[in-house]
Amino acid sequence: MTSIQIEELQFQYPSANDPALKTTSFKIENGEAFALLGASGAGKTTLLNLLSGLLEPTSGSVKFDNETVNRVSGGDRNIAQVFQFPVLYEALTVQENLEFPLKARKFNSAFINERIKNIMNHFEMENLRNRRIGELSLFQKQLVSIGKSLVRPNLSAVLLDEPLTAVEPRMKWKLRNTLRQIQKEEELTMIYVTHDQTEALTFANRVAVMDQGHILQIATPDTIYRQPDHKFVGSFIGNPGMNFVSATFIRSTTPDTGGTKEIGFRPEWAVLNSGQPGDLSGQVKTTHLTGTTLGEPIGITWVSTNAGEIAIKGVLNHHPKEQVEIHLKQYLTFHNNKRLVANSDV
Amino acid sequence: MFKIKDNRAWLGVLPVVLIVSFSGVVPLMAVINYSVQDILDFNTRFFVGFQWYQETLQDPRFIEAFLRQVAFSLSVLLIEVPLGILIARGIPRDGWLTSVLLILLAIPLLIPWNVVGTIWQLFARSDIGLLGVTLNQMGFSFNYTVNPVDAWLTVLAMDVWHWTSLVALLTFAGLSSVPNAYYQAAKLDGASDWQVFRYIQLPRLRSVLIIAVLLRLIDSFMIYTETFVLTGGGPGNTTTFLSQHLATIAVGQFDLGPAAAFSVIYFLFTLLFCWIFYASITANHD
Amino acid sequence: MLRLKNIKIESNSPAFDIDFKPGITTVILGRNNSGKTPLLRFIAGLPTRTRGSLLLDNEEITLTKPQQRPIALVVQNFVNYPNWSVEQNILSPLRHKGFSTLELKERAHQLACTLGLEGLLSSMPNELSGGQQQRLAIARALAQDARVLLLDEPFVNLDYKLRESITLELRNLFNTKGTTIIYATSNPRDAFAMGDEALLLHEQAKLQSGSILDVYRSPETIEAAEMMSDPGVNIIPTNAKAGERAPLTAVRPEHIYLAREISTHETERFEFKIRGLETSGDETILYGTVANSTWVIRRPSMIEAPIDDTINVFVHKRDLIHFPLKQI
Repeated sequence: MTSIQIEELQFQYPSANDPALKTTSFKIENGEAFALLGASGAGKTTLLNLLSGLLEPTSGSVKFDNETVNRVSGGDRNIAQVFQFPVLYEALTVQENLEFPLKARKFNSAFINERIKNIMNHFEMENLRNRRIGELSLFQKQLVSIGKSLVRPNLSAVLLDEPLTAVEPRMKWKLRNTLRQIQKEEELTMIYVTHDQTEALTFANRVAVMDQGHILQIATPDTIYRQPDHKFVGSFIGNPGMNFVSATFIRSTTPDTGGTKEIGFRPEWAVLNSGQPGDLSGQVKTTHLTGTTLGEPIGITWVSTNAGEIAIKGVLNHHPKEQVEIHLKQYLTFHNNKRLVANSDV
Repeated sequence: MFKIKDNRAWLGVLPVVLIVSFSGVVPLMAVINYSVQDILDFNTRFFVGFQWYQETLQDPRFIEAFLRQVAFSLSVLLIEVPLGILIARGIPRDGWLTSVLLILLAIPLLIPWNVVGTIWQLFARSDIGLLGVTLNQMGFSFNYTVNPVDAWLTVLAMDVWHWTSLVALLTFAGLSSVPNAYYQAAKLDGASDWQVFRYIQLPRLRSVLIIAVLLRLIDSFMIYTETFVLTGGGPGNTTTFLSQHLATIAVGQFDLGPAAAFSVIYFLFTLLFCWIFYASITANHD
Repeated sequence: MLRLKNIKIESNSPAFDIDFKPGITTVILGRNNSGKTPLLRFIAGLPTRTRGSLLLDNEEITLTKPQQRPIALVVQNFVNYPNWSVEQNILSPLRHKGFSTLELKERAHQLACTLGLEGLLSSMPNELSGGQQQRLAIARALAQDARVLLLDEPFVNLDYKLRESITLELRNLFNTKGTTIIYATSNPRDAFAMGDEALLLHEQAKLQSGSILDVYRSPETIEAAEMMSDPGVNIIPTNAKAGERAPLTAVRPEHIYLAREISTHETERFEFKIRGLETSGDETILYGTVANSTWVIRRPSMIEAPIDDTINVFVHKRDLIHFPLKQI
């Protein structure tokens, strides 16, 4: 229920040489589902701790609805947090755990019952009501843990730190749905931290990709995938990630005498054949089957070219050691790791 | 499913069995043997059955010493455990201060028991001791060699000084197993300091505290050297605990039979107390 | 050629034969406790309940001691010697085997290069990242110059980007060396990425074997189909009543098309109610139901679809997998 502004925010641990979070400014809108995506050590947790009030900024400020909260404790910021592993009062029952944050804030019992009923419905855990935490499975514990953090009304923001790590892959989407449902119903501002591209791209309205303390791009999942602003974003997202080659090797691009531009294209943005000359030529190194389409084997073909190794997705027509031509259907141009804005299809 | 059986593994246990039997079982058997005999000198002995047990249990001096002992042990536990927890909670989780505090806390534990007694004997003397003189100058009339209450307070203070660290260090170790996320979550939940202790820390301290309480119970039940040096059991018999009473009988009067019976009773009591304690703590928590 | 004959993983499990060809990678695919690890231990000569006979190039080695078999094993919870440098670790299997220092240096350098550890020869294992440590363990196994390399879920603990690059490195390495590679995993995607051939294990028994593509295209049983599918296969609803025998037909998640992707002839139409979806950018997985069965659909690219909507989905008849009659 709050918009969060990050203004010229920077943080450095006292003993470190480099800031863990490099100066950055952005805004998270009221009621937005926002994701922070990056590998471990990218600075996600630092940023999360600055938002939760666990760390105080070295410079710059965090504002909740235009009010600076740099020195306001997490409790007073009225935020909730979900951790990677279940964090619960282990000696209490499920119901007592859910009541805890409400009782601590002296809500009346009718209201407490109403909220708990609501949360239990959402997470389908009515049958666990009187169980002790110790008797629950890891998944159930995490469910209660998420429920407990969402039980308070009028939260200014909910921070989720890899909340689905403990959840088995085939259950993740259900829990994610529930989270999104509550997020929409209560117009919560949710910030979801993860290293998993599927988590981030599925959950969020907007995703911030982080690397080495920098926020490299903040955009919708679609834009992040199709128009990465930075080489890192292109290679981090996608499986395999984007291919990058120096523009001088690509035949159809305008000649780049400086040799400083690079062409980036996703494995599915190119096709292979062995006929007419394409943008690059090379030799098939290995193929990697992923399935079939209408009976034809499809997968990834790795091609060695003089510009490096290239991954191409599509029908597997070519065998190792075969000479092939690569035709680009679409590409992006990068300079100094950053995307140049004027791009077009080939 | 089958398991490979190799009975040679029992050989590995043999040294422990031997050591335990020599250090524990054999002396105990000797004591039990003494406790049913009247020993006039090493060559003249009579079998007396349970006579020494009966006499010991009916001896008013034994009963007094026993009650004193119980009172002492309970007081010690009631002071040291909460105090130790309080200290442990006050130690920061990391930083240079943590190590300094841990070392300071460990110091009393490293001092030999008779030295502890001597330190407090001097410290509390009303003529030259820092504590005794200070108290008297502040207008309290304090003299542990004359006043039973003063003597008790001094013995308690000494034990608290000596052993609270043990509880504190054990508790600190227990507390450091609580992940930070729990404190953070509690803060966001709006939990009070007491609730943090009651619902997060205490459940995780259970096993550590059981050990701390047992150790302190056993140790305080056996207290001998410190009080022997500090008060010698006086004034009168007001600080004579079981072990000291036993020493008087065995070494002072050389009544080996009654002393042995006393020892066995003493041993059984200690065992019983520990068992009751352990059972009661572990029982109500399936 | 490594030939296994009359193999019984447990004393009461059915016996089977299997050949592992040199120069290619065979993936043993199966869930936890399906018998992958006992089988690998049997090949390596470690204590296990698995019985049978083992022939390497027609020479019986069933009773040969593990140290004397030309076979190396890398396990999931790999261990490197913590007090030795990367170089010493790589060379650990060659100690006291009469190589000259120069030969050893060269060998270590060569292996380090292939596995991307060349700059780290003098580092200690604890200075390496998880992926590097795993590669070091593999380098040690390779240093033995074994003719058979056994890998027991070696990448489970690595994140997927790293998995992807190591997998590629290893395939390139193995394809050229003529080593027999046996790679055990429970993840079908690993099987696709690593394998030329597959051996499917289910409840300590062989389910099917053959080239990855054949096993994928024509699974003999629903279990085999399920095992080579991530996420699992979808069952086509039938009109059969309970107790009746009905043909079982299934379709893989990646063989279900959305309306705009396919021409309508030769296809069957289903009404799919969307319950949830997730996307990784390059593909989207839709969870939902058709009639009363739960379905999962996997499509390339990013797809947006409103949850709780019902959409038409299409399956090409050639992609339907039919199984023998089964009691429903």
